[in-house]
Amino acid sequence: MPLSAVIEARGLSKVFQTTVRRPGLGGALRSLVSPRRVAKVAVQDVEFSVGKGELLALLGPNGAGKSTTIKMLTGILTPTSGEALVAGVVPHRDRERNAHNIGAVFGQRTQLWWDLPARESFAILRDIYGVPEGQYRARIEEFDGLLELSEFWDTRVRHLSLGQRVRCDLAASLLHDPPVVFLDEPTIGMDVVVKEQVRRFLRHQVEERDRTVLLTTHDMTEVERLAERVVLINHGRIVLDGSLHEIRRRFGGTWQVRATLADPADVEEIGRSEGTGGPVALPGFAGIGVLRREGPRVVFGPVGADSPSVHEALKVIIGRFRVADLALEENDLEDVMRAAYLSDVPAQEPAAASTSASASAPAPASQGG
Amino acid sequence: MNPTTSPSASPAAAESPTSRPGPPHGAAHAWRVVWRITKLNFKARLEYRGEFLMGIAVGAIWQVSIVVFASVLLTRFPGLGGWSSSDVLLIASMRMLAHGLYVLFLGRVQYMNLLVQEGVVDPCLIRPMPVYRQIQLAFFPVNAIGDLVVAVGLFVAALQRSSHDWTAGRITYVVAGVLGGMLVEAALFTALAAAAFHFPATSYWSQWLEELMGTFGSYPLSILPKAASAAFTFIVPLAFIAYFPAGVLTGHGGAMGVPEALAVASPFIGLMAFVLSRLLWSWSLRRYTGVNG
Amino acid sequence: MTARTTQAPAPAAPTAFATAVSRARRIAWITPRGELLAPPRMTATAVRLLVQVCLVVYLWRGLYANTDSSAGLDETQAVGYAVLAVLANRIRGLDRRAGRDTVIQHLHFGTIVYWYLRPMRPQRYYALRALGDQLYGFGWVLAGYVLSLAVGVVAPPASLSVAGVFTVSMLLGQLVLYYVMMLVDLLCFWTLRNEAALLILVFAQNLLSGVYAPLWYFPDWFITLSMFLPFQATLGVPLSIYVGRIGVDDAFGQMAIQAVWIVLLALLTRRLWDRAGRRVVAQGG
Repeated sequence: MPLSAVIEARGLSKVFQTTVRRPGLGGALRSLVSPRRVAKVAVQDVEFSVGKGELLALLGPNGAGKSTTIKMLTGILTPTSGEALVAGVVPHRDRERNAHNIGAVFGQRTQLWWDLPARESFAILRDIYGVPEGQYRARIEEFDGLLELSEFWDTRVRHLSLGQRVRCDLAASLLHDPPVVFLDEPTIGMDVVVKEQVRRFLRHQVEERDRTVLLTTHDMTEVERLAERVVLINHGRIVLDGSLHEIRRRFGGTWQVRATLADPADVEEIGRSEGTGGPVALPGFAGIGVLRREGPRVVFGPVGADSPSVHEALKVIIGRFRVADLALEENDLEDVMRAAYLSDVPAQEPAAASTSASASAPAPASQGG
Repeated sequence: MNPTTSPSASPAAAESPTSRPGPPHGAAHAWRVVWRITKLNFKARLEYRGEFLMGIAVGAIWQVSIVVFASVLLTRFPGLGGWSSSDVLLIASMRMLAHGLYVLFLGRVQYMNLLVQEGVVDPCLIRPMPVYRQIQLAFFPVNAIGDLVVAVGLFVAALQRSSHDWTAGRITYVVAGVLGGMLVEAALFTALAAAAFHFPATSYWSQWLEELMGTFGSYPLSILPKAASAAFTFIVPLAFIAYFPAGVLTGHGGAMGVPEALAVASPFIGLMAFVLSRLLWSWSLRRYTGVNG
Repeated sequence: MTARTTQAPAPAAPTAFATAVSRARRIAWITPRGELLAPPRMTATAVRLLVQVCLVVYLWRGLYANTDSSAGLDETQAVGYAVLAVLANRIRGLDRRAGRDTVIQHLHFGTIVYWYLRPMRPQRYYALRALGDQLYGFGWVLAGYVLSLAVGVVAPPASLSVAGVFTVSMLLGQLVLYYVMMLVDLLCFWTLRNEAALLILVFAQNLLSGVYAPLWYFPDWFITLSMFLPFQATLGVPLSIYVGRIGVDDAFGQMAIQAVWIVLLALLTRRLWDRAGRRVVAQGG
């Protein structure tokens, strides 16, 4: 991995001062005279780095501190403590140099000029960033090829649909060829076709243009398609920094492999190990156990903290047994994330994720806020 | 008028005496809900204290600046269109009082274009309360406090300086005139708000309208040529806000360029105008197709 | 980023200048371009300007029906002043609101963050936009002025020197106005959702700068008060010079006061931009 860190967050913290109200009308009037201020910690000790050409998804429930983190990395917010370094620049200290290095899209907020056709907004940004004409044209052509902008870029922005506008915003944020891109929920509210188009565009930017992308999203399909690595943040702290596989493993990413064994000798062998009632551990099957058995039909599942992923397990099972029929079941990522969001795991400590992320998790909790 | 499913009124909903069976009807209930939401809105505005205090100041500044302007005309050009100073003062103060009441009770229509743009209107469509009322309950107009303080002061001064004796009939007519004026102003802005459903740029016009009413609503229109005063009577009917009713009260009834009966009927015309503007508004609402994006 | 310096190969002085110019032109052009793309809005502007001019002409002629002179102004002067005030007020009476492009809207929708993400300081961008707005508005004013001259509601300046002094004073006045408007916009960083406040501040400012009526008519306490405020320096002074209520000899003192206001307001707004920036940086827009 070419991990020369392009984005670095070192112990980033942000504390907001907010005014709290006192209850009742009298209280409100009293607050008018002497407001009561309270410090609210939005982000605490966030630490991670992203390498060149890497796409990192910053995940977490609403209000977890994702946007605050992104804002600190773009230089809009000054951290209360800690340090951010983006492409060698401390964003809030050297705003102008930082501006040339980064592109940013904040969800539904557009940077395009409402009354002008999108293409004229591009031209304005070209001049603001001082992009040479030749490069500008080449880039516009590239973006048009990927996002099909020319269908609507002569329409005034106020008349564009959400999907069209965000595509234009994406293009606008990359016109000056920034090596680092921050995207705060870019695909929110888009239809599936446009979402797919945007994902292809992002893949292209990461793989072909070697850009470093930091993305926040609530769309788990997006995470699965795009992110090699995720940072999970909750209550302002990092809960996990690793691959999707790690998230699955830590937050009840259970799987099951249902196999019908073809060789009676194998069935017998499993039968011999049975008896205690719990999952059956087999020799050479680290982390994989037999959960149930009915004759030749065997259900394998993960055992212990260090279990392999479903694909690794599959390899082991097929390698070891002769299998007549096979089916996989894996918890989908949304269930895993729900478990992750709801769990109160202390930051970065290996803990056995006890909650099995089944449908029994209280659904509304992940939608609140 | 069942508030239980109205998201904006959730605190009120919690106290709602009826939970499910049969939505309660009746004016009393509706007013209780309006009162509760207004109280909440008022508290919400208190949250931002700088803004709250500024809001009051802003209302007062607005009215004072109109007073100053009117007083300039009065002192520099006495006998304005054949009106005595105290009579002109009555026009100005009636208009200001009407304006203050309009801001307090019905002024939110002026923000329709913003509310549409921000998508505030869309959720209103699915709540069980008239949309117009929900718009009016969008926030509490803090500046109305300043507006009314100055207006009431000026109104009292105008009554004291007036040489007419205030019989019960005249007092009733003054009250009706002020309410009618409030309704005329509300009607004008409601009609503009009807357009705001479909055109985003109405703020341009409502700003102008507010300026026109500030500058031309507070003194006798008889100083203007016929065409202009006719325009202010029939096209942008700001003559009905204060000029006509004050003229009737001060005995200028026959010399205002319109049949006296029309001037006397000002309060009624205000009511009619408001009803018509509400119909127009509802018609426009039915054709509302939502905001883009 | 270091690898990317290739894309800006040591910008030679003239190119850098040319880039800066085209950048400035492009940004200044944003508002006019939006207006040109919206013919209904242009029509609305024309209608409003015409109606407003007619109204003030009627009003002041009506007021002077029984008087020859008031506060040192005769009818021609008063009408001329009023018409010019309506026109001049038009210079920055553009409706950026419809384009979601006012500072308060950027703050409300959170799009202000982009001002702080570009390689151009927000105050610079603001200034260039304002310049474009002024120039575009000036086109309207010029058209209206020529028309008013032709119809005879405005008399031409009494002499060439009056015209010259007026031009300078008007420019200074527009600068003061620019800073006053900026002050109002900057206030939005601290008080959100004060749309009403903005409208009314604009009205109060119009009143104090003598748009609705020349300050000469106002009571003494009011004139004294406005001497300590920047508003009269925006329009009251230049227009009074035009109609001859302030003589050319007295004009220079007034222009010095305008200049002082420009300096004071420039310093104040600069501080406020810094503080606004810090506020954005502390709260995240």
